[in-house]
Amino acid sequence: MENKEEFLAINQKTYIAVWVGLIILTGITVSVAGRHLGRWGIAVALAIAAAKAGVVLSYFMHLKYEKGIGLFKWMIPGIMVLFALFIGLTFFDVAFR
Amino acid sequence: MDVHENQHSEGSKTGMWLFILSEILLFGGLFILYAVYRFKHPSAFHLAAEELSRPLGTINTLILITSSLTMALSILSLKKGDRRSSLMFLAATLFLGFLFLLIKYFEWAGKISHQIFPDSPRLLERNQGEILFYGLYYSMTGLHALHLLVGLGVLFAMGFLIAKQKVNRANIVPLENSGLYWHLVDIIWIFLFPLFYLIT
Repeated sequence: MENKEEFLAINQKTYIAVWVGLIILTGITVSVAGRHLGRWGIAVALAIAAAKAGVVLSYFMHLKYEKGIGLFKWMIPGIMVLFALFIGLTFFDVAFR
Repeated sequence: MDVHENQHSEGSKTGMWLFILSEILLFGGLFILYAVYRFKHPSAFHLAAEELSRPLGTINTLILITSSLTMALSILSLKKGDRRSSLMFLAATLFLGFLFLLIKYFEWAGKISHQIFPDSPRLLERNQGEILFYGLYYSMTGLHALHLLVGLGVLFAMGFLIAKQKVNRANIVPLENSGLYWHLVDIIWIFLFPLFYLIT
């Protein structure tokens, strides 16, 4: 059965380790927010959020284990980058208006 | 027949991912709006965000992350053919989702009892940036809560189908797709949390 391969690749231990990792990242983002980094605060907060989203996508949503050509493995991060570019370009417009 | 089944499940998973992409665009528009308004009113956003409860936001983040874990474990259990554990983890996921909404309800109720809601006279007296902050707060967390409510309905239906053995080890894609949706709702909150509760 083709499912077998998948649940050998990802088991209960992996999920719990991922969960612990997400809790730790949440702790970091909350403690960093209390430290008043000024302008860098938002950058750090977004970087941590992106890391957490990446972990959820890779492990909980199995993108890391996509078989075949793995269309979505490339497409989802691609869309995210495109979206970041959109926000970046919007700022060029807003900031220099 | 096996190949046929395989194609069918591949197809429905692809459909689910496409739906997830459209959801990212739906929230994406609101995130851009947020980014521009925050850029224009940095201090008002800071001031308004101070009034949100950081502990409650943090607790809700932990609740959703944990519910993502129980969701993944529910799918894993069913893959192993353990229906009972699968249902147990699904029930835990439903409980955590409900808890999240309950906390969200108390947060909103608290704000509304202080006369802070879109178009309230008290809010309109404050400056433009704070009005925008609360407009975005209510619409973005509201849209997210709506998604969570839909997710709860879907998971409830899944529990019913698993109990009836309509969704099982051989036909697990409906549960996997529901899981993808649930994780998406978690990811959206992962971004909403620092943007509304952790502004420094």
